[in-house]
Amino acid sequence: MNFLNQVGAILWKDILTEYRTKDALTSMLIFGLLVILMFHFAFEPDSRETEKFGPGLLWMTFIFAGILGMNRAFATERENDSLQGLMLAPVDWSAIYLGKMLANLVFMLLAESVILFCFALFFNFSLMPRWGWMVTITVLGTLGFASVGTILAAVSMNTRMSDVMLPILLLPIALPVVIGAVESTAAILTDPPGESLTFWIKFLVVFNVIFITLPLLLFDFVLEE
Amino acid sequence: MKLLRVHALSTFIAMLIALYAIFIFAPTERTMGFIGEVQRIFYFHVSSNWTTFLATFCVFLCSILFLLKESREWDIRAAAAAELGVVFGTLGLISGTLWARPVWGIWWTWDARLTSFFLLWLILLAYQMLRRVVDSPAQRGRLSAVFGILAAVDTPIVYMANRWWRTQHPAPVIAGGPGSGLDPRMALTLCITLGAFTLLYVYLWRIRCELERTADVIETLQRQLQTQGMEVR
Amino acid sequence: MTYLFAAYTAVWVVLFAYVFSLSRRQQKFQDEVMKLQKLLESQKRS
Repeated sequence: MNFLNQVGAILWKDILTEYRTKDALTSMLIFGLLVILMFHFAFEPDSRETEKFGPGLLWMTFIFAGILGMNRAFATERENDSLQGLMLAPVDWSAIYLGKMLANLVFMLLAESVILFCFALFFNFSLMPRWGWMVTITVLGTLGFASVGTILAAVSMNTRMSDVMLPILLLPIALPVVIGAVESTAAILTDPPGESLTFWIKFLVVFNVIFITLPLLLFDFVLEE
Repeated sequence: MKLLRVHALSTFIAMLIALYAIFIFAPTERTMGFIGEVQRIFYFHVSSNWTTFLATFCVFLCSILFLLKESREWDIRAAAAAELGVVFGTLGLISGTLWARPVWGIWWTWDARLTSFFLLWLILLAYQMLRRVVDSPAQRGRLSAVFGILAAVDTPIVYMANRWWRTQHPAPVIAGGPGSGLDPRMALTLCITLGAFTLLYVYLWRIRCELERTADVIETLQRQLQTQGMEVR
Repeated sequence: MTYLFAAYTAVWVVLFAYVFSLSRRQQKFQDEVMKLQKLLESQKRS
């Protein structure tokens, strides 16, 4: 089996388990909708305020929902003692990382698309004219977040307080993604799109390249016992 | 041990010279006009922050070396450097706020440098926290080394992101554009203070490593005691 | 002036507190080592 097949196999395994249990997706979705509800009560935003705070709020929702999902990624493996099996399987450990990372990416993107849809619906937030940009930004931002998040989820899985440690470790490291994603989302809301848009998208790309390469190099050390 | 004492002594002397330079030798700030005496905070502030960055860099290097060599020594060094980073970062934050209040009229502002420095400080705290919640020493070393490397790579990115976002901190005075130079006496004072802080940092680092080694000795002794106790029984 | 004073006081207080805590920890650890070594010795003899 070559490397890509290995990654695909792990990704498929995760998607299949998720399809049968629906643990991560449901929790992310319910959480996301709750945040939207809270946002409404906490700020009672008018349309101008929504435009101002919307991008930030949207990404905060994505990120906290993502942390919920990512905490599950290795926790389930651990509960069922299946990580050992995965490590003993004749696969490169970096394939485990990539597979897990892509699985996280897929789940987050699924949850995000629903959250985004509800967000736009509830707050009359029109993303339609620029949905192409919105998709690009969401994929790039989520990819960056999932790449750092997956390795740090593996790190925090090995600690005594894994649920608490993940956000503590992940949020500071993922801050550049938040800045880039929020700024570029804000840039597409104006008409014409703000000129900073391409800049922040490039920034996200650079971040992704760095923070996918590094975990690939470091992941072996995290699993080793 | 003797070398350590010489180091301690030289650090002490360097600190005294630095204090003399800051309070008596360096002229009072005039170019910026309104700042006056308060400007003397600047020497300690810059030095603390420099030491924090130095410590972060040491964490980065020691973490890489630990992962390559798997020797406990590098783990000890990384951990010690990270703790010193927290201490000097705290100094930098305190002196920074006390500088900002009289000069800018506010304690804190969400400016690029301040924000990224604050974040670095938080990351170093998170590193400390991570070390506390992993039980096995070997695993603690590996996990914290991985986090240390990610964090150190992240720091400049955060800084650049913040910088492109917005900034208010005074532009680098030393290597800035034309006309941004320091008074030569001030520059000399800054150099002395930086040197003194670096000496202090290295000294504390060595002490802190020694402490960790003693803790290791305790652990081995305890283990010996346990196995022996079993044999006796 | 007050701020200058406050800043330097704070810096020194923090530094000294840290150095003090270091030396206390070191002392405690060394005592512990001595105690353990003695215990080990006595156990060997018995």
